[in-house]
Amino acid sequence: MFKDLREFLAKLEEEGQLVYYNDEVMPEPEVRLISRAACDMGSGTAPAVIMNNIKGYKGQRLAVNVHGSWANHALMFGMPKTTSLKDQFFELNRRWDNYPNGKVEWVDGDKAPCHEVILDEGKFNLLELLPCYKVNEYDGGFYLSKASVVSKDPDDPDNFDKENVGTYRLQIQDASTLCMQGLAFHDIAIQLRKAEERNEPLPVAVCLGVDPVLTFMASTPIAYDQSEYKMAAALNGIPMVLTKTTDGKLDVPAGAEFVLEGEIVPRVRVPEGPFGEFPGSYSGTRRQVLIKVKRVTHRKDPIFENLYLGRPWSEIDTLLGLNTCVPMFKQITETMPEVVAVNALYQHGLTVIIAVNPRFGGYAKSVAFRAASTPHGISYVKNIILVDGDVDPFDLEKVMWAMSTRIRGPQDVFVIPGTPGMPLDPGSEPAGMGVKVIIDATTPVAPERQLRDVRMVCPMPEAKKYQDILTDLQKAANKK
Amino acid sequence: MKCIRCGKEDSVHVVAKAPDGSGAWEIYKCDVCNYGWRSSEPAKMLDSSKWDPFFSLIGVDLNKLMIPCPIPPLREK
Repeated sequence: MFKDLREFLAKLEEEGQLVYYNDEVMPEPEVRLISRAACDMGSGTAPAVIMNNIKGYKGQRLAVNVHGSWANHALMFGMPKTTSLKDQFFELNRRWDNYPNGKVEWVDGDKAPCHEVILDEGKFNLLELLPCYKVNEYDGGFYLSKASVVSKDPDDPDNFDKENVGTYRLQIQDASTLCMQGLAFHDIAIQLRKAEERNEPLPVAVCLGVDPVLTFMASTPIAYDQSEYKMAAALNGIPMVLTKTTDGKLDVPAGAEFVLEGEIVPRVRVPEGPFGEFPGSYSGTRRQVLIKVKRVTHRKDPIFENLYLGRPWSEIDTLLGLNTCVPMFKQITETMPEVVAVNALYQHGLTVIIAVNPRFGGYAKSVAFRAASTPHGISYVKNIILVDGDVDPFDLEKVMWAMSTRIRGPQDVFVIPGTPGMPLDPGSEPAGMGVKVIIDATTPVAPERQLRDVRMVCPMPEAKKYQDILTDLQKAANKK
Repeated sequence: MKCIRCGKEDSVHVVAKAPDGSGAWEIYKCDVCNYGWRSSEPAKMLDSSKWDPFFSLIGVDLNKLMIPCPIPPLREK
């Protein structure tokens, strides 16, 4: 759809979904406040923001909130910006199956925009080259919160499908040093483990400002041997154009705004954090992985793209929304085709709402067990709400109706203690342990005892055509 | 210079200056706890007595911080 960040920003501008903040702002706290304000404009239609007058960084540009609304999300996939969340979910689900057709092309390094400027070690200072700022007040330093980190499997370096592109938080330590949070279940941790077992550095390329669908894929929990590049191409409908890093070790998006080439120093962990994280709380200071940056390449007049995260709802909730829903839906429906849709928008799937047509009594609860045992669900999924197949799980008014009228207390609410948990969730105690809460708000089916003998007021699909007419009438009324 | 966060003396040095030459700010880094901050941050963040003590690392043994990505044993050659 869009070959790089710049093409997408142009589309956002055309659609009224990008604004420029031209007044001078302080790196702290104003950049944070403006980023927060953009998120607070609502997940429906909040715009992306480019700040181009940050004190001390005159002439440098920062883009935030690029993925910060469902309108921008729809535009990213070439859909009208008013496309409903449910329709976006089903379209994404359809394109997901296009993975085998995801095409990748390579361009020579001297033709790649990301190599327009090449800076060797000693010639760059990351804290000056990037208009960085404290994302949250008590962060341990200046963070890259939206980087796509590329690395290979040291035991299988020629396997393109295992080349990983993942989003991990990175703290800039000084001119050429980064700290990275790699959690044990991240794909890069598998690769790092293999390199560290040999006491060898792991080459990495930290890409900033890439095409928006690649950013989306880099934060998606897909299989270890599935290529994020191919999947992004499949979702985009155009080939992913890559080039080699200048040292030839890794493949990077040719249109990236910045590429930081470097390596993870083996068997070293240094203090990192805290960092305001997606559950809305700070993670603590930990000993994390160290990256030495050897070279920086960038486009002329580059745009630094970063993301606000913290107290939800923020850009990360939109970015991690549908890409959490679709893989889980795929995995559950492999064996349970009665599942209609999965809404895992809430804090990367800590809470999920699943619409299902139960085949027999108790079936919905079995669906909950399945959700809790998907690869992502094992650690993340904590609260599982089940609703009938005719309830739109993305429409919280309908979900609350189902919960209000279906739940029978002890028969429908269960707590399973002592399960894995997500360490960044403050409800995970000790960090990494958790509970599964199952709330079954489906209508009982035989042989389970029915609710009292009532008749439901039927859904009215015939009303949809009148809804379209009313929408057009309202649009016409607005134009007057 | 003393670190605002861990309180270590003489552990801080300048790691960046405003690149537009305006002299608007400097960035400092503590070599012990890796805390980084900018001279132009709001006054509250530049005075450790005004910090939320939850975030202070004074007296904390940094070697005992959690390691979320453990270092594996070396492979036998």
